[in-house]
Amino acid sequence: MKVSFFETARYCAPQTLPSEWPVPSGAYDRDAGARAYRGMIERLEYVEELGFDWVSVSEHHYSPRILTPAPIVSASYIAARLQKIKIALLGPIVPQSNPVRVAEELAMLDTLAQGRLVVGLLRGTTNEYLTYDLNPAEARERTDEGMELILRAWTEPQPFGWQGRHFQYRTVSIWPRPLQQPHPPTYALGTSRESCEFAARNHLGCGVSYGSFEAVGKATRYYREQCARHGWQPAPEQIIYRANMLLAETDEEAQALLREQPNQRPFSMRPGVSAALMKLDSRNIAGEARAPIVSGALPTTFIGSPDTIVEQVRRCRDVVGAGVLDLSLHPPGSGDLEPLMCALELFGKKVLPRIRDI
Amino acid sequence: MFSEGYVEADGFRIRYMEAGQGAPLVHFHGAGGLRLTPAHDLLARHFRVVAFEMPGFGQSPENSRTRSMPELASTMAQAVKNLDLDTFNLMGTSFGGKTALWLALQAPERVLALVLEAPAAIRQEGAESPSGSPEEIARRLYAHPERLAAIPAPDPAIRAKTQPLVQRLRGPDRDADLESRLPSLATPTLVLFGTRDSVIAPAMGRVYKDLMPGCHLVFVYDAGHGISTDRPEAFAEVVADFLERHEAFVISRTETVIHP
Repeated sequence: MKVSFFETARYCAPQTLPSEWPVPSGAYDRDAGARAYRGMIERLEYVEELGFDWVSVSEHHYSPRILTPAPIVSASYIAARLQKIKIALLGPIVPQSNPVRVAEELAMLDTLAQGRLVVGLLRGTTNEYLTYDLNPAEARERTDEGMELILRAWTEPQPFGWQGRHFQYRTVSIWPRPLQQPHPPTYALGTSRESCEFAARNHLGCGVSYGSFEAVGKATRYYREQCARHGWQPAPEQIIYRANMLLAETDEEAQALLREQPNQRPFSMRPGVSAALMKLDSRNIAGEARAPIVSGALPTTFIGSPDTIVEQVRRCRDVVGAGVLDLSLHPPGSGDLEPLMCALELFGKKVLPRIRDI
Repeated sequence: MFSEGYVEADGFRIRYMEAGQGAPLVHFHGAGGLRLTPAHDLLARHFRVVAFEMPGFGQSPENSRTRSMPELASTMAQAVKNLDLDTFNLMGTSFGGKTALWLALQAPERVLALVLEAPAAIRQEGAESPSGSPEEIARRLYAHPERLAAIPAPDPAIRAKTQPLVQRLRGPDRDADLESRLPSLATPTLVLFGTRDSVIAPAMGRVYKDLMPGCHLVFVYDAGHGISTDRPEAFAEVVADFLERHEAFVISRTETVIHP
C-alpha cells in the first residue's frame, strides 16, 4: 500500500468564521494565511521524512477549509521545497478550466519536479459550479471533453485543432511536454459510471473518495470490469482512495475525537441554492444515483488505534482494491494543528511500516 | 434541396448530387458509396456542393475497368471538367480522400483547397474495413450509432459489386509512391479525424502534417470514422471556415462580448 498525505494548508482562523459557503472574503486574516502556508511546508517536510509516498493537493474555492484555490501554485511551491515525495495534483477542476492551459501547466510542473507529478482530473464538488458560473447541466460533458483534450495535448506531436462540443481551438502544440512519457500517472477522479468508463477507455487510474468501503468499492469494481472490457487490468496503484482518518493511541481516544468533531457539511450553502443545485447535479456510483456532496458531513472511514487502523486498511484493500490511500488526518478546517502532528507521528511510526505489504 | 445529375467521363456515366451556390466544392465519397449527410446541407449554404458517385459505386454498373487510384482520380478530374468546373475546392472522405489526394497531385492548379475527412490514404498496419452485419458496420463507423436516425443498411449486392474495386484501388496501408509525392503538394489542406475513429487510427493525421507543407490537422471530438454524420455542425463549421480563409482560419472570429 502506498500512502499519500492530503495537504489542505490548514488555515487557523483567529476568530469564528461563518460556516456558509462562500465564506466572505473580508473575513480572511492575512497573517493567518501566511502562517498557514509556512506551516504547510514545515508539515510536509515531516511528512516526507516519515516516508509518505505522495503529498496531494486539491482545488477548492471561496473558503478557508482548503486554502488551495490554485493547486498548480501550491503543487509547484511544494515541489520546489521537497526533494523526494511525489506531488499529486488531484486535481484541476476540468469543466471550469482551459484544458490546454491545464495541459501546459501540468507538463511544466512535471518537468520542474523532475518527473514527480501525479495527476487527477475531475468534475469538482457541487459548490464549485458557482465559483466561475459553470452550468451544472454541462459539467459532465465539459469534464469528459476537457480530459480528452488534455491527454491529446500531452501526446500529439504535431500542431492540431480541436473541434469540440464545449471547447474549440484551431492551434494546440504545447511546450514543454511532460517529462514522464507518454504523460504523468493520471487518474480520473470520481465514482460515476462516466468517470470509470473514461478511465478504462483511456487507460487511466481511478480515484474515489470519502464513501464507505462498500460504496466506493462498487465504483472500483465497475472500473475494473470496464478495464477488462477494454482489454487491460489496472495495477493496485491505479486505484486511489481518499478518506478521513482519526488515529489515536487507543480506540477509545479515537472515538472521543470523533465525538468532539463538529458534524458539519464541508461546503454548506443557502438552503434555496443547495436545493436547486441538488436537482441539477446528478451524481452516481457506478450508475446508481447518489446524493451530491453538499448534502452531508464527510464520513470518517478509518478510525481507531494503530492496530485497528491496520485492520481497516487491510479491509479497504480487499473491498476497494485501492493501492494508494490519500489521507486526511483530522478533518481540514478543524484548525487545531497539534493533534494533527501527533496523529502524523503515530501514523508514520506505528501504521505506515505495517501497511506497506498490504 | 440536392438535385441529381449525370456527367460523362472516360466512357462512364457518372451520377452526382448538387446543391447550393458560390465557390464549387466537389466531394468524393468513401468506400460505402455516396450518402448525403446533414453536413452536405450545411456546406451547401456556403458553397455549390457537387457530390459525385464514383464509377462502380451505388447504382452504377460494376467497374472492372479502372485499375488504380490515380486512374480513378484522372477519370474524376475529367468528370469535374465536364461540368465546366476548372478550379474548385475538393473534399474526399476515407477512400475518396485518397482519390482526392491523387487528383490534387495530378492537377494542383485546379484544386483551390483540399479537405480530407478521415482519409484512408495512409493507414495503420493491418487496418481493416468495417464488415459484418449492418449494426456491426454502424458501430465501426460511428461514435454514437444509437443517436442517428436509421441509416439504410448497405445493400449486399452493391457491396459485392464494389468490394473488388475497393480492394484493387485502396492500395497498401503505406503507399510509398503516394507519400513520396506529398511533400511537393502545396495545396492548402485540412485533414480531419474523429477522436473515436476505429477504422483509421486518428494518429495517422500527423503523418499528413509531417509530409505536406500546407497541411492543417483538426480532431473532431467524439466523432467516429463518419465525422460528418456523427458531428455535422462541428464538421461543416471548420470545413467552411478553412475553405473560406485557408491557413488564416487559425485566427479566431468568435465574439465574446456578453453585454455591450
